[in-house]
Amino acid sequence: MTSVRSALDGLPAQSSPVDGAPEADVTVAPSSFDEVGAILDTASEHHLRTLIWGGGTHQGYGGRLDPVVVLSTAGLDRVVDFQPEDLTVTVEAGVRVSDLEDLLAGHNLTAALPETPGNASVGGVVSAGISGWRRARYGPTRERLLEVNLVTGDGRQVRGGGRVVKNVTGFDLPRLATGSFGSLGVIVQVCLKLWPLPSARGCVTVADGDAALAAAYRPQAVIECDGTTRVYLGGTPEEVEGQSAALGADPVEGWDWPEDPAGEVQWSLRVPPALLRTAIKEVRGKYSYQAALGVGELRMAGDEGDVSALRTWAESVGGALVLVDGPPGLYERIDPWGTPPPSLSIQNRIVQRFDPVRILNPGRLPGGL
Amino acid sequence: MTLTAELRDILGHDRVLSEPLERWVYGMDSGVVRGDAQLVAFPETTAEVAAIVRVARHYRTPIVARGAGTGLAGGAIPTQPGLVVVLTKMNSVEIDEANATAWVGPGVINLDLSKQTEPHGFHFAPDPSSQSACTIGGNIANNSGGPHCLAEGSTVGHVLAVELVTADGDVVMLGGPAPDPIGLDLRGVVVGSEGTLGIITKALVRLTPNPPDVRTLLTGFASVEDAAATVSGIIARGVVPAALEMMDQRMTQAVERFVSAGFPTDAAAVLLAEVVGLSAAVEAEAAIISEVARENNATTLRVAADESERAKLWLGRKSAFGAVAQAAPDYYLHDTVVPRTKLVETMTRVYEIADRHGITMLNVFHAGDGNLHPLMAFDSEEEGMLDRVKAAARELVEVCVQVGGALSGEHGIGIEKRDLMKLVFNEADLDAQARIREAFDPAQALNPDKILPAGSRCFDLGRPPLEGMWV
Repeated sequence: MTSVRSALDGLPAQSSPVDGAPEADVTVAPSSFDEVGAILDTASEHHLRTLIWGGGTHQGYGGRLDPVVVLSTAGLDRVVDFQPEDLTVTVEAGVRVSDLEDLLAGHNLTAALPETPGNASVGGVVSAGISGWRRARYGPTRERLLEVNLVTGDGRQVRGGGRVVKNVTGFDLPRLATGSFGSLGVIVQVCLKLWPLPSARGCVTVADGDAALAAAYRPQAVIECDGTTRVYLGGTPEEVEGQSAALGADPVEGWDWPEDPAGEVQWSLRVPPALLRTAIKEVRGKYSYQAALGVGELRMAGDEGDVSALRTWAESVGGALVLVDGPPGLYERIDPWGTPPPSLSIQNRIVQRFDPVRILNPGRLPGGL
Repeated sequence: MTLTAELRDILGHDRVLSEPLERWVYGMDSGVVRGDAQLVAFPETTAEVAAIVRVARHYRTPIVARGAGTGLAGGAIPTQPGLVVVLTKMNSVEIDEANATAWVGPGVINLDLSKQTEPHGFHFAPDPSSQSACTIGGNIANNSGGPHCLAEGSTVGHVLAVELVTADGDVVMLGGPAPDPIGLDLRGVVVGSEGTLGIITKALVRLTPNPPDVRTLLTGFASVEDAAATVSGIIARGVVPAALEMMDQRMTQAVERFVSAGFPTDAAAVLLAEVVGLSAAVEAEAAIISEVARENNATTLRVAADESERAKLWLGRKSAFGAVAQAAPDYYLHDTVVPRTKLVETMTRVYEIADRHGITMLNVFHAGDGNLHPLMAFDSEEEGMLDRVKAAARELVEVCVQVGGALSGEHGIGIEKRDLMKLVFNEADLDAQARIREAFDPAQALNPDKILPAGSRCFDLGRPPLEGMWV
């Protein structure tokens, strides 16, 4: 057994530290699955806590980490297989969401990933299980994941799912990996199901978002931002015209998606959709908010306030109040996830089997997993 | 005490079957493999299911959960002498109109759910051809599809939460009524796990609003190539119809003899397309579909004039398997998926395989998804026929995998395709799946021998977990 120091020195694909990432002994930026495997095998052997870093846009979720190794996915940046006619694309994890959507838009397609992704990578969005606003129409990101390639915590290369739009061949590893925050392995490649990009796009401001949701018949999104509600429409020109007529207003052409709410502390409040109105009443005036009507998610931002009553209520109705980002000290005072799910022991057993030494993002999942 | 006696203590005498004829009935699903049901239990509550699991575990008897038994891959049959737990008596429905969801028992029949939610303006989108018989529990176990999964996705996208009785007899809720439940998505992996990870005793399902308008188009073509080009052309024009179904000539002829749905029997292939939404939108989309069909030399092009004509077309489509019974006493139906662009190439090879083995093959399938259902009609009394059918089936699957396809789109792996899993997954991939199973059910008490080939769990891969690890 080599010493930890020489193991660190021997890691392949070493690079300079990544902007924004926490301090670590070594930063690596592998460009092949084999390199990822070799790094994780060594990291497991020497119990080196490893933080996986994509675009750095969702690192505020979950418990804080004090990594020995930062593994950047920036070197995994290839578009592997794009099949416009099959409505599928396979990309490596480090591909930027904005680059992917640009490529797809050139073929009038979209993966319906987050609309204002910033620097987010595809792997990061999948790993954090983040969806765009258009989930109201196309479902969440996990519905888009057809195939996943993982390198497990102990360096095994594993594939699940397949590059076809409909598949029940074995256990659904792609869905299990979505939102797993790296606990099963480094997501190195995914195949995504695509949708045609609507030929006509428009936005209508409405007074009553709940009524609009029903009248527009399955719009792309209905978003209430600090009291103003906009309905996002898309489809054939006739569909957008029909939806606008049902809403009694002329649309402004194009989609103008809101940026994340501004504030030092960001939360995601998740409740059954019908209770979103109650949630809005609770946060209005206290936080800047964006509510996805019909979906049940409310993004809110503000100062460090006392959210315990709001969290208790959200959990009592089957939801959650999740800390999305905030100052480091806040994580010591409050659990970023809240009450862990009742299936925690099964989750722990799964994580053990994919990351036996528990080196990948340890403590990031609910319940300290 | 015996297992029978203990089960009767829990359920009463009548809800435990042990007579040979009764057991024989529950030893089979709709596939071609027979299992060995030693006892059959009919629980009515979650607590009863949990008690059954605990007592069966005590007697080391394998447990197989079952709905209506419409599965075709042998997923619901006991491969070892075992206990079959039939969930059809658990059929409550509780509709939450405000959230467009419903809590349903696993025994609720798929079509009954849509009938019950219809007055509220909703339906349950997954609509397998067996929807008038199959149960929601079975749909969840197999992640079932159906024609309308093209736009709406398979069952997994319509299940928000499941109440699961684990292999230890514990009851745990996975998922929930709010978006993005925290932690690993165990709900997502239980859907489609064919009863190997636990027994589903309740599910929260998402309901889909009934569309304000619908257009159903029937098109006929002189060649399968033209029909397939139409499928690709529609999608390339930015239209994802609610359903896009294809039938070959042999199938339309069989269906016409059976139900007179109005399909053109002289066409080499028939496409059934449906678009839903606001009236203006469906008009425009129907016009695009018509245009693409004409560009690809459609010989028949008709829009269903009213609801009764539409219902007749769908009756024809969903009666396809019944219609085959007229052609031959037995049929073997396959379920594979290929990339949509490989449809023509795959079908040409599929017909070649059938011809070479001297088997009558008919095709009806979800063309929009690339989900093929080649159907071999035969007489099992004929000497050596069943072996020929099985050989052809294997070749057919190999062809689909070669072009980048999957083993199953909506029927599951069960016992039928278990050993074919090695065609699409390597040792490490199968081991990863076996680890998921091991995390839920290390003793393989629940539906043993299904999905994964024997020896999938390779103990020489990777590192052993740390003792007592809980970071």
